[in-house]
Amino acid sequence: MQKYVLRRLLLAIPVLLLSSLIVFSLMRVMPGDALIALMGESGNVGEKELAKLRKDLGLDRPYVEQYGLWLWQMVSLSPGHSIFTNEPIGVSLRKAIPVTLELAALAMIIGISIAVPVGVLSATRQDTPSDYVGRVVAVSGLSLPDFWLGTLVITFAAIWFHWIPPLGYVSFWDSPWRNLQQFLLPAAVLGFRLSAATMRMTRSTVLEVLREDYVRTAWAKGLAGRMVVYKHALKNALIPVVTIIGGQLGVLLAGTVVVETIFALPGMGRLTVEAILYRDYPVVQTNVMLVAATLVTLNLVVDLTYAWLDPRIRYS
Amino acid sequence: MLGPLARLNRRDFVRMSAAGLSAAAVLGPRRARAAASPYPDWLPASQKPPKRGGVMTRASAWDPPVIDPRHTQSVGLFQFAGLTSNRLVRYPFSDEASGPADLTLKGDLAESWQSSADFRVWTFKLRQGVKWQNLPPLNGRELVAADIKYCFEQYAKEGVQAFTFQEIEGIETPDKSTVRVHLKTPNTLFPQNVAEPVAIIFAREVLEEDGDLKKRLIGTGPYTLKEHTRKVRVVLQRNPDYYDKGRPYVDEYVILSTPDAATRLAAFRTGQADFIWVASPSEAEVIRKTNPQTVVQAYHNTLAPFGVSLAQDRPPFNDVRVRRAISMAIDRQKMVDTVFEGHGILGWGVPYIYYQDAPPTAKDFGPWWQYKPAEAKKLLAEAGHPNGFETTLFYYEYFPQMTSQVQLVQQDLRKNLNINVKITKLDYTTYYGRYVEGKWDGMSWGFQSGHAIGLDERTYMYMHSKSTKNFFRVNDAVIDELTTKLRRTPDRAEQRAIAKKIVDREYDQVLRMWMPYDNGFLLFQPHMRNVAAGALRRTDGYGSPTLVRSWMEK
Repeated sequence: MQKYVLRRLLLAIPVLLLSSLIVFSLMRVMPGDALIALMGESGNVGEKELAKLRKDLGLDRPYVEQYGLWLWQMVSLSPGHSIFTNEPIGVSLRKAIPVTLELAALAMIIGISIAVPVGVLSATRQDTPSDYVGRVVAVSGLSLPDFWLGTLVITFAAIWFHWIPPLGYVSFWDSPWRNLQQFLLPAAVLGFRLSAATMRMTRSTVLEVLREDYVRTAWAKGLAGRMVVYKHALKNALIPVVTIIGGQLGVLLAGTVVVETIFALPGMGRLTVEAILYRDYPVVQTNVMLVAATLVTLNLVVDLTYAWLDPRIRYS
Repeated sequence: MLGPLARLNRRDFVRMSAAGLSAAAVLGPRRARAAASPYPDWLPASQKPPKRGGVMTRASAWDPPVIDPRHTQSVGLFQFAGLTSNRLVRYPFSDEASGPADLTLKGDLAESWQSSADFRVWTFKLRQGVKWQNLPPLNGRELVAADIKYCFEQYAKEGVQAFTFQEIEGIETPDKSTVRVHLKTPNTLFPQNVAEPVAIIFAREVLEEDGDLKKRLIGTGPYTLKEHTRKVRVVLQRNPDYYDKGRPYVDEYVILSTPDAATRLAAFRTGQADFIWVASPSEAEVIRKTNPQTVVQAYHNTLAPFGVSLAQDRPPFNDVRVRRAISMAIDRQKMVDTVFEGHGILGWGVPYIYYQDAPPTAKDFGPWWQYKPAEAKKLLAEAGHPNGFETTLFYYEYFPQMTSQVQLVQQDLRKNLNINVKITKLDYTTYYGRYVEGKWDGMSWGFQSGHAIGLDERTYMYMHSKSTKNFFRVNDAVIDELTTKLRRTPDRAEQRAIAKKIVDREYDQVLRMWMPYDNGFLLFQPHMRNVAAGALRRTDGYGSPTLVRSWMEK
């Protein structure tokens, strides 16, 4: 087990290096110059001023040198400052990460809470009205984009209930109730989307497992239906479900970009989009690397979960 | 992470969805109106005695990129910087203006000002007893003339205001309340330039201690900056030591960063925002259906900030016949009627209030601005392009309607002149860098900055061939002469006459091809008082200083 984890961690290094190279290169080949945008408002974009600023920011050095320097900054956990705001990136991340983490975690809880029971219900009552409803809900979740759903939710909440989540983010520690009000709707929007694929997978795997011999044996032994479904069938059906939840994490993080914008939450998504728009190289590069590292870690966690779900699985 | 944004033109869709869905929810299907707005364009000052207290809130699309006023003229900063800081002189607030076009200068930090006979020396007498906000390192010390001198000198060194302040030859401060500014060349419009929102007076001690103004914004204004959390909120708190005793009336002004248009509408509907700007009549109507008590001001732009910019220093656009032909081939009225639902202006670059009383109509623009496709084709043939030509146009979508405008221009030029325009839509940074660099070929959807209101800024600074803000690449000896002459003309009537000559020349030579622009509406909760927007200055943007006179009746 330890060897397996160590090997996976070592394998993560080339993945992260490749990611760093891609994001660094993409930022350099993208058209648009952050410095002209930064200085251009005056109408005085002198070559001298630009050259000075480039030098101050180290952007006049060869790309290889810039890349090496940035890698060292990442390894030493001091990613530098934003070109645009001059704020230390570490400070920006400390503010943004908790927001996105909270949103993603709540969305995950809501998504799974919807997906698994509805998926099981659909499977155990196959081709009944409740199954059809479950399937329609799942297909809707897959089809409706987050931004449309988010806009719909906030617009109709305002018109029908004269209420929307209070604007102006506050942290959970400062005001738990206000914070939960702020996160409930956006998490529900994200969670609904997340639940769709999981619901479909739960339904199909539970259906498959219900046809297995050991389940038939359980029925034959006279066990209660709930016991058969939840203890014998569901646990064995969960491996593909966990796999798909793991795969959805990337989608979830992508969804936060839009949902954070609609619900005015100052998370990683908004930070990254703004940085991309302003060509704020250090911020974009750091954020992308952070997301890459998070996904690599979460995938490892998902893989390790298999052994807990199915003790027959051994890592070697 | 960017998948969904990269695939979709989200803003278009969201705006349409929000407006459309809201309309469907409360109105049922209806056609877009092309009629004149039923709302007043001026909200008179309240006659009741003002009420103190309360928290005023607004959901804002803009976030200040930085709070250093030398480094940005972004509305994100100037939606509140004019409340934390003062200028030497200012334009009238809504409760003292005679109407939306009133641009009479008033004293702000300066009590009075006068010029020498040749308009090269301007002397400002400062108001007595003005104190900096009671925050370290200023700790409420008195404002003196040396503060103004220092600030103007810093602006001349670097920053978005450099062009204005670099025309200063020297500044004298004979005593602590007198500032004497010596200009390199005569300029009768200098006080207007220092009344611009971007000419706020910042604190010397902060710049010297911090090395920049990115962390603290301390001024002499009616509000202190209590909190600025990026992408969350800006909180302004009443300054008890403000020189205008008793004001401001509202205790706190909170600006909530809300990038999504549908969310801003929802915030207004639910009372989380006290005022909001919307672009179209249908949006205003939809809100009035759910919030019938809403007070609406029909905003009227006195200029258009966007137009087709041509590389007029090189072929084929250096031929005035080509420019005229293109101008005559574009149906501007159709744009107003369709894209802006009838509530828009045809488009002009110099605020009309400086040269005539009423907004211009199509005939005021002269022959080359009329939609005459047959004559346009003939003129283009005379210019040696009977079969049209290929060109390019790049733009950044500042607002969703802009894309429709660009496409209408493309269609008109293709249909009427066989000019094939290849459109490239860019992101902001790419567009801005390319546009201000001024080396591009073909066409661009050009802009002039939104912050300025002064006549000098709108003429000399944007059109003189030597100006660094001449983004439209105007190079016309007559314009150079007229804009310079304007700066040397003190008489108001003569100024109007020269300004008219400038715009006539601009239209005749098609130096800047302005395009229609929306007028929009400002919507206020019924308890808001004295919040009307003035000429070129929306209360939610560069016109925010007027909020010092606002109060809430609740």
